[in-house]
Order: sequence, then C-alpha cells, then structure tokens
Amino acid sequence: MVRAKNEVMQKKKNKELLKKDMTAWLIMLPTVILFAFFVWEPLLESIRLSLYTAKGIRLQEFVGLDNYLLVFKHPDFMDAFTNTFKYIVWSLVIGFFVPIIIAILISETVHLKGLFKVGVYFPNIMPGMAMVMMLGYFFRPGNTGVLNILLSKIGIDPMIWLTNIKLTIPLIVVTMTWRGAGATAFLYLAGINSINPELYEAATLDGAGIRQRIRYITVPNIFSLGKTLFILQIIAVFQILYEPLVMTNGGPNNASISIMQLVYNYAFRDFNYPAAAALSVLICIILILLSGLYFKITKPRD
Amino acid sequence: MFFEKYIEKEEGTIRSYDLHSFRHKLLCILIFVACLAMLIIAVFPTIWVFLASFKSIAEFRKEATIIPKSFDIQTYIKTWNDLKFIRYYINSFIVVTGCVICSVVFNGLLAYGLAILRPRGHKILLTLVMWGLLIPATTSVVALFVNINRIGLNQSYAPLWLAAGANAFYVVMFKQFFEGLPKEIIEAAKLDGCGVLQTFAQIILPLSKSIVMVIAIFTVNAAWSDFLLPYLVLGGSSKETVMVRLFMFRTSNATDVEILRAVAFSIIPPIILFTIFQKQITAGATTGAVKG
Repeated sequence: MVRAKNEVMQKKKNKELLKKDMTAWLIMLPTVILFAFFVWEPLLESIRLSLYTAKGIRLQEFVGLDNYLLVFKHPDFMDAFTNTFKYIVWSLVIGFFVPIIIAILISETVHLKGLFKVGVYFPNIMPGMAMVMMLGYFFRPGNTGVLNILLSKIGIDPMIWLTNIKLTIPLIVVTMTWRGAGATAFLYLAGINSINPELYEAATLDGAGIRQRIRYITVPNIFSLGKTLFILQIIAVFQILYEPLVMTNGGPNNASISIMQLVYNYAFRDFNYPAAAALSVLICIILILLSGLYFKITKPRD
Repeated sequence: MFFEKYIEKEEGTIRSYDLHSFRHKLLCILIFVACLAMLIIAVFPTIWVFLASFKSIAEFRKEATIIPKSFDIQTYIKTWNDLKFIRYYINSFIVVTGCVICSVVFNGLLAYGLAILRPRGHKILLTLVMWGLLIPATTSVVALFVNINRIGLNQSYAPLWLAAGANAFYVVMFKQFFEGLPKEIIEAAKLDGCGVLQTFAQIILPLSKSIVMVIAIFTVNAAWSDFLLPYLVLGGSSKETVMVRLFMFRTSNATDVEILRAVAFSIIPPIILFTIFQKQITAGATTGAVKG
C-alpha cells in the first residue's frame, strides 16, 4: 500500500521534472535556433560548400577536394600564407611586448593614473573601419601625410610608408597594436595588481633593486597570462582583414594580402563561394588546432 | 610635491622607500613622462581627424600643418547634408537598437536556462556554446552569407539583429552573473507561484541591471562598429549603416576632407558612449576577457 503510494508519488515527481525540463528547453529554444543558424550550421555549410561547384549561391555538382586544390595552386595562396607568418612574427615583435610595457608603466605611476588608463583604452572603442581609414592618412606619402608632417618638424624628409614593401606589414601591425594594446594592457594590469605586495617588500628587504624586482617578481607573475594572450594574438592575426583591405588592398604586389582577404576576394569579388568556403575551412582547422593548444596551456593553471 | 603621493602607492614595484636616491626619483619622472607620451599617441589620431576635417580641400592638399587655419562648423554641416549622413545615422540606430534588444533577451534567456533552470542535457548545450566562442565569426561569414541569401533575408535588418542574439561571449557573461545571484530569492519566487518566464522578467532581470547594462553597452559599440556582415547583407539596399558608407568611399569621388568629416561623424557616437560609460566599459573588458 505504502509502496504503491510511493510509486505514484515517484511517477508524479518524474512527470513534474520532465515538465520542468521541457519548459527550460522551450525557453532556451529560440536562442538555440539562433546559435544553430548563425554559428554552428555555417561551419557545416562551409564544409559542404567547399566540396561542390556552385553557380552563385546554388550548388551544382560534387567535386570532392577540387576546390581545395584550386585554392592551394593559386599563386596568391603562397603569398597570403607567408604573409600570415610575417604578420605573426611582427605582431610578436611589436604587438606582444607593447601591452606589457604599457601595463608596467601605468602600474608604476601614481599621478593621473585614471586618465592614463582611460586614455590607452580609448583607441579600442574606435570602430575598426573608421580607425583604419583614419590611420591611412597618417601613412600617406608626400609632405601632407600626417607622419611626414610630424617628421618634418624634427627635420626629417618625407618618406613613403605603406607602399614600401619592407614597411607594409610592420605598419599594419603597428596599426593593430595601436588599437588593441590598451585593452590587452588592462588584462596585464589586473595581473600586476593581484601580485601580493608583501612579495615586493620581502624582496626589497633582501636587497633587490627595482629592476630585479620587476625581473624576478612582476614578469614571472604575468608570464602565464602572457602565454595565453600570445596564443589569442596568433588566433587574431589569422583573421586580419580590414587593415590590408582598406589601407593597402593587399598590395603593393600582394605584399600585405592576408588569408582572410583571400577569402573575401574569392567570395565577394570573384563570387566563387566554394573556393572561399574551402579556404575558410582551412583557416578554421588551423584555429581549432591553435585553440586546442590554448586550452592545453591554460587548463592546468586553473 | 610630485613624490609625496608615492607614500600611498600599493601596486607595482616602486615604493616610497625607493625614492631616497636621485636615480630612482628620475626614474619615476621618466615613467610619468612615458605615460604622458602614451596618452598622446593613443588620442592624437582622433584629435587629428577633428582638426584636419576643418580644413578646406585646398588647404588639406597643400599645407603641411596640423592645426587648420579656421574652425568653421558650417563646413561640417555642409558635408553632413551633402552626404545625406542623417540617413546612415538612422540606419545605424535601427541596427543598434534591434541588436541590443536581441542581445539582452536571447543571450539572457539562454544563460538563464544554463545557469538557473539547468534542465537535463544542458551541459552538452553549454559545450556547444563554448565551441562557438572559439571559432571566430569571420571564418563562417561566407557560408552564413549564402544561407541568409537562401532564405531571402538579404537586404533586411533582421539577420543583423538576430545575429546579436547568438553571442557565446555574452551568454558566458550572463551565465556567470546569474550563478552569483542569491538562490533564496529565486526559490521564493517559485513558491509564490511565479512562472519560469515571469521569474526571469520580474526577479532576475531587475537584479541583473549591472550586467544587462554592460552587455547593452558592448552590443551598442559592436553593432555600431560592425562592418563585414552589414556590408554583405545591406549593400545596395539603401539601408547601409555608417560603417558601410565609410567603406563605400573607396570607390567614390568624395574629397579627402569630406571622407575625414565622415570618419569624424562615425566616431562621435562611440566617443560619447565611452565618455559616459567608461567605468562599465573598462571593467567589463577585464572581467569578460580573463574568463572568456
């Protein structure tokens, strides 16, 4: 009797639980549909698209990996690929250290600290398109380019900037760093602020000078954060698009063309969506591998 | 004067007791000067845009100067009218408003399910959402564009609005906030007979004003600045946003100063937004990114 009652209760409870779960899923359903349409499905669609030929957006016939071969064989591919490595190297040389230096400098000053923080963060809220157009004027050749105006004040002759093959990628990286460094510096600042002040005091008592304290306390403490941000930066570099598209259009002579720009050209200049999709899939695979590396590096620390 | 304030210094390496030697005092001054230089580098290009756009085209082409000869606001108004910029502003505002609503409602509801309702199987969904966080939107933009065309939503604002509702980053931020809410209040609402949606609208959202604010601000800035998807979806529809209009200058015969003024118009709203909400923006930047 009691057992039967218990069973009835259990069933009722199960039913209620099921109903509760159903309501919860119903509430999440609209967003799940949005995620499916905007995030997950396009990934699968990229793969499918890359295996077919197409007329406009209509798929024609299955061609296997032909699109991939087409993309690989195109002379622009090697240019974009080597450029990506140049972008990575330069963004390591320029982009990686600047935020660390900014963070250390700001953490070592006591005057106008709030203003400095807000100031270095400011370029980050700038719309990418507007910023790239704006800095395009800075790098103009001739004596009315802004950098040349500034250089003329200290007596240096006008230079050519973006059209100089050796300078194109470094200047684009400078542009990206100018915009992003402040926000990254904030992360390092948070890391520096969380260092126990007693460490510094103990080191000072042991006779460590300022330089030694930075070398042996500050830097090791932000090292793991640096590793994380390094991988994130490489992931970001793979997606460079606006800067070469607007500032140089990939030139001079493909010297600054990026992989994403190649995708853009295939899709929205040549309307060859399958080739663009094939290249997207390649980028995606590289990014997933990099993300895996990122997780491997960050997990044990958590 | 300059060095007295170092007594209160708590973070970083240098402490007031370091300042007895001249060398260290000099170092502090140098650091301060370096910070000033950084500040100038960070804000100068923006200031330059406003200065240079006061120049006439002749002055811009010939004079190698930073400061314009005259500051006539009429030139701005003329360019604003010539380029019919009001239209692009209105289009952008329509996009931004829809994006903010979708962003808060859809991402909020998903986070509510993942953080508080937690139905069976929600962990799988969470994993899928987190994967979305890793794979950047730019790599799937071609396929997305093809899909949008297939269902005939091109040249409409809808895909842009709805895309803001599927942002893994905001879902994670919402979720973390909701998980920190006191459980008792939610339980009490349930006992009072509040439905699940009612609990969300009347209990959770009012308690989450701060995070809703942060996400709304981030969405405003992202939607205003977004270029690629608006360009692909809205191109040639007369619904172009401000950023799409800027890109269209690549193939127009507008003069340099007109383009500069257009750039100035496009950065005024983000500057106002940042001036008002700098606290929320900088705080949100740190929390979101470290955890994301």
